[in-house]
Amino acid sequence: MEIRPIFSALMRSKVSMILIGVQVAMTLAIVCNALFIIGQRLDHMNRPSGMNEADTFYLGSSGFGQGFDARATIREDLATLRQLPGVADATVSNSVPMSEGGWSTGLSLQPKQKTSTADTAIYIVDDRALDTFGVNLIAGRNFKPEEIADVTFGDRLQPASIIVTKALADKLFPDGDALGKSIYMGEDPPTSTIIGIVDRLQQPWMSSSSIENSTFVPAFMPYGNSSRYLVRAEPGRRDEVMKLVEQKLSESNTSRIIGKVHTMEETRGEAYAGDRAMAIILTAVILALLMVTALGIVGMASFWVAQRTRQIGTRRALGASRSDILRYFQTENFIITTLGLLVGAVLAYAFSLWMMQSYQSPRLPWYYVPIGFVCLWALGQLAVLGPAMRASRVPPAVATRSV
Amino acid sequence: MLKMTHLQKVYRTHLIETHALRDFSIHVREGEFVAVTGPSGSGKTTFLNIAGLLEEFSGGEFLLDGVNVSGLNDNARSKLRNEKIGFIFQSFNLIPDLNLFDNVDVPLRYRGFGAAERKKRIEESLTRVGLASRMKHYPSELSGGQQQRVAIARALAGSPRLLLADEPTGNLDSLMARGVLELLEEINRQGTTIVMVTHDPELAARAQRNVHVIDGQVTDFDEAPRLREVAAGNADRGSGAESGRAVGAMD
Repeated sequence: MEIRPIFSALMRSKVSMILIGVQVAMTLAIVCNALFIIGQRLDHMNRPSGMNEADTFYLGSSGFGQGFDARATIREDLATLRQLPGVADATVSNSVPMSEGGWSTGLSLQPKQKTSTADTAIYIVDDRALDTFGVNLIAGRNFKPEEIADVTFGDRLQPASIIVTKALADKLFPDGDALGKSIYMGEDPPTSTIIGIVDRLQQPWMSSSSIENSTFVPAFMPYGNSSRYLVRAEPGRRDEVMKLVEQKLSESNTSRIIGKVHTMEETRGEAYAGDRAMAIILTAVILALLMVTALGIVGMASFWVAQRTRQIGTRRALGASRSDILRYFQTENFIITTLGLLVGAVLAYAFSLWMMQSYQSPRLPWYYVPIGFVCLWALGQLAVLGPAMRASRVPPAVATRSV
Repeated sequence: MLKMTHLQKVYRTHLIETHALRDFSIHVREGEFVAVTGPSGSGKTTFLNIAGLLEEFSGGEFLLDGVNVSGLNDNARSKLRNEKIGFIFQSFNLIPDLNLFDNVDVPLRYRGFGAAERKKRIEESLTRVGLASRMKHYPSELSGGQQQRVAIARALAGSPRLLLADEPTGNLDSLMARGVLELLEEINRQGTTIVMVTHDPELAARAQRNVHVIDGQVTDFDEAPRLREVAAGNADRGSGAESGRAVGAMD
């Protein structure tokens, strides 16, 4: 290998080497951290809600005019919905996961506890909620119809029984014995008993630090004249059922307005739009950066080939084969890229450290840099291949040309 | 050492054909110092390129040290060139970003010699041209004459049997030119065959034999005065320039 003489020669024309080296270094530092951020965003976007999202949709109903009976309307609507062909189940709920709107409260183990033990989202539902949401009950039991309390909006919720998510149960009772235990919803008695634990159900708020702490509260509590219905269709029939539901509810009562029907998939898309946009922008930045770096290498190598045509011819005249010339340029690129990558590795970790200190982001995993090393080595070798092949085709007779 | 018989070299474009060499025959024996002369465009450089395996020829036969080169592929030609031929160029063709040591090292690396062997050869050849003390200098730090000496050292380092020189003193003043020529004569005395292309009659006169080329053909040859001085040391010399029309005996 001609590493030493090539390196010595490069040291005589440092500017070009530094330009490409810095470009490679910046590319490694930015690409590693950007890929890590994209990975984080994708993990964020792929968090399961705990629901059957594919088959479920929801819609609002808003009554108007004097004499509108919200309670009667909800009961009629639920009865209508549950009878429609293609509907697996339906429930009424004050909120749905990922919708960014809902209720929350603190749960305490002791009365008058100054700081609650855990925060939770509240889903005010009936006894058909578990089936409609499609959550997985892993311990205990579902609500019984007689446990659904009639509550007027504005009254304090005092449920005798609740169903919580596993994350919340573990937070409240780390020993894993939450089932059957009583907790305080707020500061005062009465207590609520945990009668069931579901595997998972996200809160409505995507930025919540305790996103899996959710509680089902059995209550029938119209929100003024408004209500929100959650409907789960039989597998594969969601779109068909959505149209039918909208039509039937609109026809059944002309004293209210049926709001837009949302699928859970749409809701997920809207909830993670920011993450998706960030991932797309960063991907575009990475691709642009890699392209600019590759073009920089191609440009510089092409310039060097043109500048050194006579030198290449001389080397050929002195016995270099075509593959020797090809190898020369590839080795030269390897040296420049490696130097750039060494600097880039330091920059990548420094950038990560800065992100940790400034934005509390997690540390860049160590393996991103070596993988980036290999990818940029490959990119460099690929980029220089064209100019190097052109160089290898320079005829040895160039050595004797006077111009 | 070098034998070309009825050699043809035609450059073709889609419009014209140019016959750079026609029916070109020459025989250079081992240990000779031959000057190839002729006006610009006569075919001297084409001859040199073909002799040095830098270009292929269109027809005829070319034996280099007994090897018929017409069937060789590019790799084989490169290897043969590296092992048997040393080049000296008019513009020296040193690599400006390498110091003298690394410049002389270039052909040795392609030869595949180990580091110790290369170092020994580089030191020996630079010593031979009187520049051993300047190994770490760069070409730009040397005079033209010194640069040509480095080029000679580079050509000699691989112990070639044939030295091809293309106007070796063309870019030098007369004093430096004399020094380079004396060095070439010394190298020849030590047994290396030299073929030198030049348009300088004075320089050609120092060679043992002149071959004159016009319009791609060998038109004449003569015996330079120096031939008689060194003839005794080269007893096996026979015929000189040969062509389809002109063949001459050297002795």
